Amino acid sequence: MRNNNAAVTVAFLICLSSPAIAQVCSFRISGTVTDGQRHPVFGAVIRIESDSSKGDITDTAGAFLINNVCSGHTMLTCKADGYSTAIAHIDITGNNKVQFILNADKNQLPDVVINGVKMKDLHTVSHTELKGLELLQTRGKSLGDALKQLPGLNAIQTGPTISKPVIHGLHSNRVLILNNGVRQEGQQWGSEHAPEIDPFVANRIDVVKGAASVRYGADAIGGVVLLEADPLPVHPGISGNLYLVGQSNGQMGTVSGILQGRVGISHNGIGWRVQGTLKRGGNFSTPHYYLKNTGIAEQDMSASAGYKKKGFDVAAYYSLFHTKNGIFEGSHAGNVNDLYNAFARTRPATESIFSYKIARSYQAVSHDLIKVNAGYRFANEGKLELNVARQKDLREEYDISIPYTKEPGLLARPQVSFQLKTHSAELVYTQPAWRSFSGNLGIAGNTQGNVFRGIRYLIPNFRTYNGGVFLIERYTYKKLTFEGGARYDYRWQRVYQRNQTTLETFNTTLTFSNATATGGVIYRIGEHFSLTGNVGTAWRAPSVNELYIHGVHFSDASYQDGDSTLDAERSVNSGISLSGNTKRLRGTLDLYYNSIGNYIYETPQAQPVTLLSGTFPSFKFTQDNVAIRGIDMSVQYDFVTHFTLQSRATIVRGRNLTKNDWLIYMPADRFENGIVYNLHEFKFMEEPYISVEHVGVLRQSRVPPNTDFVAPPAGYSIFNASIGFTSYLKKHKIQSDITVGNFTNVAYRDYLDHFRYYADNIGINFILKTKISF
Amino acid sequence: MKKNSIVTIAIAFAVLMLNACKKEETTVAPPDPENEVITTVKLVAINVADTTEIVTGQWKDITPNDGNPDVSQARLVLKKNAIYKVSATFLDETKSPAADITTEITERANYHLVCYAPAAGLALTVVRTDYDNNTPKLELGLKTTFTTGGITNGNLQVSLHHQPTGKNGTDCSIGSSDAEVNFSINIM
Repeated sequence: MRNNNAAVTVAFLICLSSPAIAQVCSFRISGTVTDGQRHPVFGAVIRIESDSSKGDITDTAGAFLINNVCSGHTMLTCKADGYSTAIAHIDITGNNKVQFILNADKNQLPDVVINGVKMKDLHTVSHTELKGLELLQTRGKSLGDALKQLPGLNAIQTGPTISKPVIHGLHSNRVLILNNGVRQEGQQWGSEHAPEIDPFVANRIDVVKGAASVRYGADAIGGVVLLEADPLPVHPGISGNLYLVGQSNGQMGTVSGILQGRVGISHNGIGWRVQGTLKRGGNFSTPHYYLKNTGIAEQDMSASAGYKKKGFDVAAYYSLFHTKNGIFEGSHAGNVNDLYNAFARTRPATESIFSYKIARSYQAVSHDLIKVNAGYRFANEGKLELNVARQKDLREEYDISIPYTKEPGLLARPQVSFQLKTHSAELVYTQPAWRSFSGNLGIAGNTQGNVFRGIRYLIPNFRTYNGGVFLIERYTYKKLTFEGGARYDYRWQRVYQRNQTTLETFNTTLTFSNATATGGVIYRIGEHFSLTGNVGTAWRAPSVNELYIHGVHFSDASYQDGDSTLDAERSVNSGISLSGNTKRLRGTLDLYYNSIGNYIYETPQAQPVTLLSGTFPSFKFTQDNVAIRGIDMSVQYDFVTHFTLQSRATIVRGRNLTKNDWLIYMPADRFENGIVYNLHEFKFMEEPYISVEHVGVLRQSRVPPNTDFVAPPAGYSIFNASIGFTSYLKKHKIQSDITVGNFTNVAYRDYLDHFRYYADNIGINFILKTKISF
Repeated sequence: MKKNSIVTIAIAFAVLMLNACKKEETTVAPPDPENEVITTVKLVAINVADTTEIVTGQWKDITPNDGNPDVSQARLVLKKNAIYKVSATFLDETKSPAADITTEITERANYHLVCYAPAAGLALTVVRTDYDNNTPKLELGLKTTFTTGGITNGNLQVSLHHQPTGKNGTDCSIGSSDAEVNFSINIM
């Protein structure tokens, strides 16, 4: 199986030589190894053929460094599993930089990574990704916050620490998150329920913008966020990296590290990795005041191990996430009058100072996941993979008011507590490539149990069983790739409730089933451009809160009523994407039109609800036909040497077709423009850069009348600046970045930030990030 | 091994998954008997000039989450140009006997404030007469004096505010509201 017929297909070389010095052995060769899609290749072995003592293995960023290289002609080889060997001939006259771009070894094409899912299961649905330096620059941020800079993405926020990704105007239950190949299952329905995931588990985050239900199952109407770790090490030796992130606002510090290695001989051993993150922050500050009780304390870890022998591989992955997030004290509203009092204030009612203390109210969320996957590659190159996972999500919310009781034990209990356990399994067969055809056939299923143990009732207990079967086929003909897929899903849900008067338990059973399909084509225009078009369908069964919630939602002092007769949402999503990659210009342009039938949303009711605690505006879940369309644009243009212009735009329009009105909570138009100055080397710094960026967000003027408590906030304009470089301490690569966020210290409020009702967004923020690889 | 290994793993996990389903969700937690929910706000007014004249009114919602309160007794008929000593009581009448939440409010007096807002045109002045244990002491509002003027009718809003920080004894816009009800007042 392994590649013996060293098919030499290589490689671009970029050699930047310093002036010649006499014959000494003090030169350095550094560089990176990437695959054809420019993803870093980890674990590639680089050797100087004339001197076998000198060489290096690439780190997770695909980087390598060889010291004490002698001058003269040198032949460098680069070998990595699954790729053809690359050879570079260099005349050494100074320090050199070499970039290897490896071609996949055709004899080894179906060789999937040991741990993690294969990327791009759907080729023709628009993608965007975060990796390398761009990912490094988001380190320390929450997942939603990190992704919002990508074109087509926004974040729905509840203050500085709680944010959720929004893809093409859709979020929460309509966006799936995959943690190393497993669907993350938490209480995703709440807008203040952030994903229970540590972004440090991923070395690359891929976002599918569009209908991806065919591959990932129901609910993926908006898109899918895939967090991917690097493959486990395939060569002996221990390596790792350490991230240190400190920021001035909130005086927040984050430490995250990875240690990995391989036990046993190279091709028959066990690769392993452990990873952990600690994060602690205190009260964040706006330009004019502190936000009391907005601290965060987060502890996460993950571990994985994998074994591979001939065609067989098996791997296990475990991750644990725990966070405690303070909720801004000024955001509590017992009823609508409290809410109007809060709106009327220009500053919070109680002045605050900096503190790490997290008092009530706060959220405490734990999530743990264990996954085992096994694969077997048949003699005909077909591959069968089994993925089994179990996860448990526990979400507890502690209100600012402790309950009225004479029992002291009750005072320490959360007002709301949900526990969701999910067991899932997926079996996927990847067919052997046959005459330009490739594809997957899969069967997937899961079961969930939700248990509510709180003091104030919110959503009922339930059990669901979901099953699906799918087929995706691709056919490549010259410059065209066609892709088509179909899937059938079935969902059974039983809800357990207690009659409020008789206190008897009763249950209600609902079933949903739906077929989905996708079809698309990629057309490669020359070497540098490609045009992708896709039409896909997706569906989503109403979630349990949309069906059965009944009561006050404290975060916005509204009274919500579910509707148990809701139907499933169905969408037809069409998109075209043009992407280009030339020497000086890189960019993508996406246009999409997502038509969603039976879109579920809350609609205000004419009569407010009078409770003992006051008057509450009443909302009922209802459904209409809607359409969301938009443009995502991202361009990088190297207009002169060392200077790059970066532009990104996210424009979304949502219409309620049934009511012929705008849709509420659609992201405002967002434009980011920046300029980057980068060099190859400056003194001890390699690849230094300086960048300045402007983020402009317009006012959201397209909102349905009389549905919000206050009008959308004004547009805003903020500036960010960064400076960073790579340096080497002995063999250790150190990447550093200093960013000043909102450096003009502008006070602003964002339409998608729930705290816009109560306070400004955070002000100036100095952030120092360092990544040390060893 | 190979194929057999996959089959073995599949069976192992299928067994594990079936065993793992303990069906905890079929047991729906009943309302916690120790948790007290305000169902009733009661006002008792005693005429200072004639202590045999005791007027009571109550605002009640025994099913506190459904928006169907019983306001038939949320009414006080007071004499004109009179002074009443009034005490407010908060009860949980889902319990039998009813739990008196006023004792907890008294215990947590330092971050509670009861507010009274007569509607415009109603000839009623309300003055809080009790205090919490803050230093200096701040008004609490469970005990008040109602001073009536001429013959008028109108609503009196009674609200209980939870003010864990920022309490100053007079500002009712701080904090969150645990209760906010309207009594109909007839001054004759």
